[in-house]
This record gives sequence, structure tokens and C-alpha cells, in this order.
Amino acid sequence: MAVTAESLPKSGNHAEEHEDPRQHLMFDPRPRGEMNAMVMDAMRISGWKFWVLVLVLAVVVAISIFGAWGYMIAEGLGVAGVNRPAYWGVFLVNTVFWIGISHAGTFVSALLRVFKAEFRRPFTRAAELMTTFGLAQAALSIFMHMGRVWLSYWMFPYPNQRGLWPNFSSPLMWDFLAINTYLLASTMYLFLPLIPDVAMARDRSKGWRKTFYRILALGFRGTEGEWTHLRTAMNIFAFAILPVMFSVHTIVSWDFAVATRPGWSSTIFGPYFVVGALHSGIAAVAMVLVLVRATMKNMDYFIRKEHLDALGKLMLVVSMGWAYFFFNDFMVQWYGGDKFTDALLHFHEAGPLGWMWFGMLIFNVLIPWITLWNKRIRTSPGAIFVIALLINVGMWFERYIIIPISLSINRMPFTWHEYVPKVEIVLGIGTLAFFVLLYVIASKLVPLVPVWEVQEGQMAHTLRRIGKAIVPTVSELE
Amino acid sequence: MGQHAIPEYSANWAEDEQGKWGMVIDQDLCTGCQACVTACAMENNISFVGEEDAGYGRSMQWVRVERFWIGEYPEINTTPFQPVLCQQCGSAPCEPVCPVFASVHSRNEELNAQVYNRCIGTRYCANNCPYQVRVFNWRDWERPDPLSNQLNPSVTVRRKGIMEKCTFCIQRIRQAEDLARSEGRQVEDGEIEPACVQVCPANAITFGRIDQPESRVSKLALSESGTQLLEELGTEPRVTYLKGGSRYGRNG
Amino acid sequence: MKESDVSEAITLLALFEDIDPAAEAIDTLRELGIEEDQINCISGIPVLESMLGRPRQWTNVPRLAAGGAIAGLFVGIFLAFITSNLYPIYVGGQPLVPGAPSIIVIFEMIMLGLLIATFVGVFLDSRFPSYSPKEYIPEISDGSIALLFSCPVGEKETFVEAMTRLGAEKVEPAEAQQL
Repeated sequence: MAVTAESLPKSGNHAEEHEDPRQHLMFDPRPRGEMNAMVMDAMRISGWKFWVLVLVLAVVVAISIFGAWGYMIAEGLGVAGVNRPAYWGVFLVNTVFWIGISHAGTFVSALLRVFKAEFRRPFTRAAELMTTFGLAQAALSIFMHMGRVWLSYWMFPYPNQRGLWPNFSSPLMWDFLAINTYLLASTMYLFLPLIPDVAMARDRSKGWRKTFYRILALGFRGTEGEWTHLRTAMNIFAFAILPVMFSVHTIVSWDFAVATRPGWSSTIFGPYFVVGALHSGIAAVAMVLVLVRATMKNMDYFIRKEHLDALGKLMLVVSMGWAYFFFNDFMVQWYGGDKFTDALLHFHEAGPLGWMWFGMLIFNVLIPWITLWNKRIRTSPGAIFVIALLINVGMWFERYIIIPISLSINRMPFTWHEYVPKVEIVLGIGTLAFFVLLYVIASKLVPLVPVWEVQEGQMAHTLRRIGKAIVPTVSELE
Repeated sequence: MGQHAIPEYSANWAEDEQGKWGMVIDQDLCTGCQACVTACAMENNISFVGEEDAGYGRSMQWVRVERFWIGEYPEINTTPFQPVLCQQCGSAPCEPVCPVFASVHSRNEELNAQVYNRCIGTRYCANNCPYQVRVFNWRDWERPDPLSNQLNPSVTVRRKGIMEKCTFCIQRIRQAEDLARSEGRQVEDGEIEPACVQVCPANAITFGRIDQPESRVSKLALSESGTQLLEELGTEPRVTYLKGGSRYGRNG
Repeated sequence: MKESDVSEAITLLALFEDIDPAAEAIDTLRELGIEEDQINCISGIPVLESMLGRPRQWTNVPRLAAGGAIAGLFVGIFLAFITSNLYPIYVGGQPLVPGAPSIIVIFEMIMLGLLIATFVGVFLDSRFPSYSPKEYIPEISDGSIALLFSCPVGEKETFVEAMTRLGAEKVEPAEAQQL
């Protein structure tokens, strides 16, 4: 499936001053067989560093999730930092944080697909893996915060001998339904475009890998029927998973917004949280792509500066959106505030953790706004990594402020008390290590780049001449 | 008043605004002695959390005596002591948010009931209570012998991971109603005394049928100096606080 | 190509590197008398039927998806409206079946039904998973297009020669192999 690209005429027409589109992935096609080989090669484990990383991560996961969590289940939530009035703490912060990260995958593979943003093609799978693994960490964090987690199955609606059903008035039940729907949907959406790539891997493997891919490929060959069913399903998924994505984080925000607490009972929380999720999610995708590019073989062919550039622009736009919603929430509360809301806002900015509030604004707004307008910064992997990391830290701060810090202030001043996290820190680090561990293992088991989508895109992109300029052209092949 | 029929799908099912069982606390009589706190702990098998946990905001007090003061020592003006307990709201914010129906409204007693064996410990109810009267079992606290001999057999002992709160001593209410029914009579006003009411040396707390206009608690609740906590939230609390009616005048 | 020829039919596989020669080959096959449903086209990327001059492919996935959405609607109605009446428990000033939360429950269940049905629809329509031996050639996942068609044994040489003339990389009898 070769694509012919015309060569640029030399000298005299300033063509070199303008960016050469042939640097872009879509205009730099290689034979499919070569791209397949590159992706397969990236999955090979060569050397001891991989195993050391896996071992370290596995040890951290074992200590925190099996050790520390087991200890907490045996001793009770007293070993955590939650108290009255901050009944929810870092566990819920982590839950909201991981759900935010998981919105990245859906944004990239569904929203960008619906808007036909072609730059998404090489990294949809890398992003979708983040969604599935991020949701797994969110689910773990939810289970961690429950007082009697061994009875959590009571939230599942099943007929039982007591005749009891769960309470669908509760936002936690909406969470249950929405997060499970989203987890199932994004896992299915991860798997569908994976089938042709796993079929390719099946054709190029031997031994246990071949058996593994053969089973996973379900007997896919690439017949017209199979492609039609697959692509129809992917289109339905892309459109349908978007309302699910919006509803999930809105419902999570309603855990707080429907409560009677000052600072929580805010009608803007729905869209505020969705935009916040996109903010931290897109930044997380950028971080993962920089790491993948730096650590995996051949990935610098697929993931190029133009992708970081595009993500950087998105990060800037979403940062502006986040600032808009934050200002909305803050200004309205500050202006019309009752005495408790006033006390709350003052506690945010000038309390013992006031540095977190300023840090949040600096990392989420100031730094992206002063850096991401510049193309050189956007196309520098190191700079993007740092900016994205700071955005994620800032968004974690934001959720920490909304949950335990806001809970410290309520309408009964006699009960005001600060929150100091204890075992939650260990467990939070455990979820992070678990996420990285799952991702690292998946990157060696599953082709990380959807090569068929990249080739499809390369087939659709051509260069043509308008006047003296060579312009990229994209055909609509749907 | 009588029994309510199962209502249709309409939003105005709410019970009568004043409820059935109510309480009046006279803050001008309250001395802040915390006998009510102690008696409640004895009656309801409440755990003793120890100094460290209590200092961290985890004390297990179903009723707490709040005190505030204005000014710096020695020019201090104290406000009346304020015993705060579960207000048994008619429109309780803690109830709709429990995912497993562990916090429900008893239509018979018109009280907010916490179902211990159903609670899975999500603690949303405690977050949503504007009075912050719900307490959580953060650990299994010890009750070394012979302290276990003090346990009240009428009340469940709760384990870690379960939310609990004041029940208006529902075990005493039920007991008195059963006795009255077996004797073929009505419960008399003043016959039922929750532990806090029974023990208060200043008789600051009055308890009874707030829907019967002849009961003592109804008459006290109608007093001019009566207010309710955070009533602007629309929770319909069943506890009325009297203050400023004494000869010492309004105080803060 | 009717009953008398069936027992003597052979399935040939012609491998092409590009879409244009493959499209022309399909035209040629049609001229040589092969019916549309005797031709199968396997490729490493989705090639539109219009590019190859093939009839539109049917798919049941959208209908199954719609059916799934309706099933989800019923589940949502059951959870929101019926379970609350099976064991009526009253909470905090809300009616037994609260309005807005019911909408949330029903919406989520509709989406869940829609997406699960879509996913299962792919499996059903493509008859996944299927691990029996099939006609296949690994070059397809490297980007080539293969045309599978059955022709009478006697005319095999004609077809081989026609395909090769149009640029086929190889033309060979298709063997069902373990994938």
C-alpha cells in the first residue's frame, strides 16, 4: 500500500522556509511489513532493565496494596487519616484523580476520532490502555475507602433472600453504574481495534506468544465482512462512549455537589470536573507518550514532535477552559458567600495548606499559559513532560482541596478539624506503581501502535500543489 | 394523625412537619456537666476511643456539648452550652445518600434509623449531615474485662467500619410502647426518657410526643425563645433549643 | 457454474500488493464468469467496497446495537422504578421513585446495553471466535490484498494466467490452514 509523495522543487521559491510536511508521520510512509516489524520489535524484551523495573514495581505493589491495605482492613480505617469532619480523604482524591486520567484515552480515541483529527492515529491504543488501567486504580481506591469493603457487593443489584435492593437515590449508586459502564465500554473499545493488530502479531510470532495472540485474535483474517462489522462497531463506540465519558465525571462530581456542605453545593461542579478530567488526562497522555518514545524501540518513528505539538495546543486550550470554570466557581462563592463559605475560601487560601491552593493555580494555569503558546516548547519532549507532570500535580492538589480541605470547614465550627493523611499515602503510591506495572507489562504483550490505523491514515494523506505551495491533503475514506 | 398510606409518586409525601418524637433542650439550664454524654455512652454501648483518637476528631460521642466563648481571658463572655445530638430530621440529608439503605426513615416512629448490619462504611451520610452528629467506628476499640459487664443487652455492639448515631434511645421507646400495649393503655407523657433526659441533673432536656399538643415537650417547643439549629437548610429537625428566656437575658 | 461443476471447483488465492490491480482483477473475475458471492477479499487495512467495485457489505451491528439500547432501557426502568417498589424504603424527603436519579440510572443502562450489544454484535456477525482452519496467507497482515475465489478445476490455468497478468504476486490454491 505505497503512497507516492512528490518531491519538493529546489531553490528559488522559499519553500524551505515553511515546515516540510514530509516530516510528519502521515507523509512519511513505510511499507506495512516494515512498520509491523518495528512494532513487533518494540515488544521484545532485551536486557535486564525491564525485569528490574517490573520487580521494583511489583514489590511496591505487594507492600502497599497487599501489605498496607491488608493491615488497614484488619485494623480498621483508623490507621488512615480520615476523621470528623473530613470523612473522605486521599482515597477519594485518588479515585477522582484516576478517573480523570482515564478520560484521556476516551478523549483521544473517541473525541478525536469523531472530529477526524488525524494526528490521533499512532497513539490511540497507548491512550486507551491508560483508560483501562486508570479505571482499575480508581476502582481500587474506591474499595480502599470503604469501612466494610468485604460487603461492597451489596451495592450490586441482585435478588437476595432479604429482598433488598440498592438505593438509586444515592450518588454512590450512580457512580457504581456509571463507572462500571465506562470500564466495560472502554475495555471493549480498547479490544475492538486491537483485533487486527493482534492478528498481525499472531502471523509474526512463535511459541507461547503465537498461542496467546491466536486466541486473542479470534480467528480474524481481514475479510470484507469482518472489517465492516468492526468499523461499524468502532464508529458506534466512538459516538456513544462520549456521552458516557461526560456522564461519568459529572456523576462523580455530583458526589460532592448534591451534598449540603459549604463549598460543595455548587452547580458548576459537573462541567468543572469534566474539564478538569480532560486537563489532567491530556497531560497524562503527553507524559506517557514522551516516556514511550524515549524507552521503547522504534516509537520515535510513530510518535513525533507533531503529536506532542498537537497535544500541547490541546493542553493550553483545556487549561483555559479549566481556568474559566474554576473562576466561575470561585468568584460566585466569594461574591455572594455566606459566612461559612467565606471561612472555607479563607481556609483554602490562607490556611496551613494554602501553598497547595497557589500551587494548583500556578501549575494548572500560569505555567501552561506562559509556555504552551510557544511551538519550540511544545515540540520539546522534555519540556512537555515537565509541564504535563506539573499539571497533573496541580490537578491532584485541586482534588485534595475540594475533598479533605473543604470538608474541614462546615456549619458547626465546634467540629472543625484538619486532615492529615497517613496510610493513604502508601496506598496511593501503590496504585501509581500498579498503574505503571500494568502499563509496562501490557506494552510488551500487546502492539502499542495500531499499525493498521496508521497505514489507513497514510493512505488517506497526500501532498498536492496549490500555487507554489505543497499542501497536505486528507481524503475522507469513511 | 394515624398511619400514612403508601403515597403515590408525588413529591409531597413528607410527614407532618413537627414529627412524632421530639426534644427540647433548655440551654439556660444546661450546666455543661456532660452527664448526658456519659449516660448515653453507657446506655448505647459506645466505645471508648482513647486520648489520641479523641484528639484527632474521632471521639465517639452521640451527643456532644459544644461551648463557645467570646473575648480573651479574663474578659470572657461565654455562650450557653449547646448539647448537639442527632436532630432526627424529617427531611434528613443523610438518608438519600446511603447506597445500601443503611440510613432510612422509620415511618412508624418518624425517626432516622441507622441499620448497623447493613452499613458498608462509605461515610457519605456523615459528610452530608449538616450537624455532624454521626460518628464512625474507625477501629475495634478494646473493652477489657470487667468493663464488658457494663454492656446494655438491648443495644447492638458495633464493630469497625460501621456508622452510628443517636437514636433517641429507640430501645426505650419500643420497650415502653410494648409495655403499654400489653397493658392495654397509651404511653403516658414523660414515661419514656432517653438516657440523656433521665440523667440530666438540671432537667434541661425534655422528651416526648411532639405531635400531641398536651405533652410537656410540645408546650415547651412553642416557647418564644425556641430556635432550631440550621433550620434554614430545610432539614425539619425535631430538637428545639431554648435560650435567652432566663433571667440572665440573651447571651450571645 | 452450477451443480455439475461444484465437485470440481477449486479455491484460488491471488495476492496483490495494491488496490488498483486488485480492483481490476475483480472486474476481470466478473468478466470470466465468477459470481460476486464466490469472491472474497481479505486485506490488512479496511478497503472500502467502493474502491474495489464490490457490492455493499451487510452488517447487523447497528440493529443489534439498537436492540441492546432497548434492552438497557428495560433494565434501567426495572432498577429505577420496580426495585424501589418491591421493598419500599423511604429516605430523606424524597419520593419513593425520585425523578432526576431515575433519569441517570436509565441513561447509564441504555448506554451499557447499546455498547455491550455492539461489541457482541461484532462477535456474532463475524462468527468470532473461530479457531478452525481457514484460507489465509500471512502476507495480508503486511498490507497486501488477497482475492479468494472458486473456479472450476479445468479452467484453473486461465485464471492463474489472468491474475498474474494483472500483477498478482502469487496465485495458488488456497489451503485452509490453522491461523
